[in-house]
Amino acid sequence: MHQTLLTLAIVGYVIATGLALAFLVQRDELIHRLASLATLASWILHTVALLTLALDLGRPPLGSLPEALLVAVWVVVLVEMWLERRYGLPVLGAFVLPVALAFSLQSMPMRPLIGSTLRGAWVWVHILLALVGIAAFVLNFAGALMYLLQERQLKTKRPGALYYRLPALETLDRLTYRTLALGFPFLTIGLILGALWAGAAWGSVFAFDPLALLSLVAWAVYALALAGRATAGWHGRRTAYFAILGFAVLALTLGAGLFLPGRHG
Amino acid sequence: MPLFVAGLSHRNAPVELREQLAVDEDKLRELLRDAAASGAVREVLVLSTCNRVEVYAVADVPGEARGALFRRLCRHRGIETAPVEALLYTHADAEAVRHAFRVASSLDSMMIGEPQILGQVKDAFALAQSCETVGPALHTLFTQAFAVAKRVRSETEIARHAVSVSFAAVELAKKIFEGLDGKAVLLVGAGKMSELAARHLVEHGAFPIYVTNRTGARAQEMARALAGTAVPFDELATALAAVDIVITSTGAPEPVIKREAVQRIIHARRGRPLFFIDIAVPRDVEDSVDTLDDVYCYDIDDLKQVVDANIRERGREAHRAEAIVDREVAKFLARLGDVEVIPTIVSLRERLEAIRSGEVKRTLGRLPAATPETREAIEAMSTAIVNKILHAPITKLRESSRAGSSRSWLELVHELFGLGRK
Repeated sequence: MHQTLLTLAIVGYVIATGLALAFLVQRDELIHRLASLATLASWILHTVALLTLALDLGRPPLGSLPEALLVAVWVVVLVEMWLERRYGLPVLGAFVLPVALAFSLQSMPMRPLIGSTLRGAWVWVHILLALVGIAAFVLNFAGALMYLLQERQLKTKRPGALYYRLPALETLDRLTYRTLALGFPFLTIGLILGALWAGAAWGSVFAFDPLALLSLVAWAVYALALAGRATAGWHGRRTAYFAILGFAVLALTLGAGLFLPGRHG
Repeated sequence: MPLFVAGLSHRNAPVELREQLAVDEDKLRELLRDAAASGAVREVLVLSTCNRVEVYAVADVPGEARGALFRRLCRHRGIETAPVEALLYTHADAEAVRHAFRVASSLDSMMIGEPQILGQVKDAFALAQSCETVGPALHTLFTQAFAVAKRVRSETEIARHAVSVSFAAVELAKKIFEGLDGKAVLLVGAGKMSELAARHLVEHGAFPIYVTNRTGARAQEMARALAGTAVPFDELATALAAVDIVITSTGAPEPVIKREAVQRIIHARRGRPLFFIDIAVPRDVEDSVDTLDDVYCYDIDDLKQVVDANIRERGREAHRAEAIVDREVAKFLARLGDVEVIPTIVSLRERLEAIRSGEVKRTLGRLPAATPETREAIEAMSTAIVNKILHAPITKLRESSRAGSSRSWLELVHELFGLGRK
């Protein structure tokens, strides 16, 4: 049941992504409305799918990385819809939905669930915090991408289609900073809890777990970006480059967790 | 509806001729009243702006009415009729409706999306109304044209992107800064154009305004005009550190804003962008300033380039606007056309129903033994026959009215079915 619902939701996200990208090219209110509608409908399907999945499993759908990523996408889309309305950023979907889609496609087809070695409330907290962190960094990445595009347009002085659609540089810089400031503490505490729990469960904090190691690299990149901002006033292009680098490592981290053997299964 | 529009505009007539033909309000009143009184037209409205002179009218014989109207117009202005008539374009019925919608929506303007034309059309309409030359046809047409214009303005961006250099600068500022509220502006040099740009910025919330100029008196004067503060010219570097937007327009032969000066202040700004609008020729801001991070420097050529891009963007939006106009024209004609053909459809139905019920009555009178079932069957069958016969002509009438060619079809139907006078 949840598999069918999930497939439908992903098909919906494909449509919503297509429409959101089309809206970048052809500024038509109707396309935007359809994109918003498709996003909302897919998100509702996604919600129901997650609920049925949880009922089937008899526990929250956070037991394996593919499950957890599905929840992350759910959070990302929810926040995307809210930000779009709150800040009047109709183009945000075009930058966030493709990433959300890529993250949700990894669960197709849903692999058999691994008999979970996970126990204890701390693990759930670890996973949840990491998820919120990832969701924030997806938006951080989208904001950075929009900043760089708009900055390019303004510097080259040749306004293209994007110049008219993208918001002001200051707005985008603020979006990038806020998502970084929001995501970082979640990621940090998530990592610490993971390490503590790993120490308790396996007796060693690290061993070779590709996800854990790479996520430390991602954490370092984000930490540097945040520290630079706080002390040296880093902003704009530099922060945006860090956001993109950090997200690339983060994506690699998740890829490693999905496809390489390790503790995250 | 024998509606037509005839006239000349910036598209086909030279400005000299348009000037000669443009009429002032008093003359227009006279003209409208004369035309209506002569009986050549049933309804008439004249739109006279510096870019177009057009007559919208409803007349039984459009060709004659058009000639009479323009002869009268030329006589009023004391010019030859022939060269004017040679240039006139004429649109009738559906095309006239489309033309009215396009003109009011500013799609036929020299600068697409310019806002004045709608007001001018509204004025022309009010004038014709006050002269009582607006009847039901022109009234429906122009009320709808105003609605279409409003729709085009709100649903497309044909009027949104700046087509003047000073407004383009304001729009650029809004793409750099989140809002202009409380953004400080420094004017270096006190030209007319920088004053205009500064005024636009102030209208969008920019505050405070500083003015500096080599001659202090001129700076004082400009500062007073803009409710700003004059700053001595040798304190330019200090002033630079305190503002977000700098408009330069001095007559200096060398750049007055040097790279080192900007570089010195940029660190202390902690990432707040700095926007230079350099409208001086030769330029006041050194070329290399633009390569600094968070500094955006637009000279007059850059601004013109932005304006060109904006005009192209308006052009793209105009395609969407044309599609809206197309849909609105179709909707308008359908509504208008249905109104026109409905009486005929009703009398056609009545006529056939009268024949049917008469014949059924006669037949049943000859069949006294008929069971209720038989009677019902005869009723049903005859009704079905009538409906099937009516289907094609009614559909045709509706279609023809939507295509704007209902008049001949209406006459034909009246003749064929003997519906009497229309």
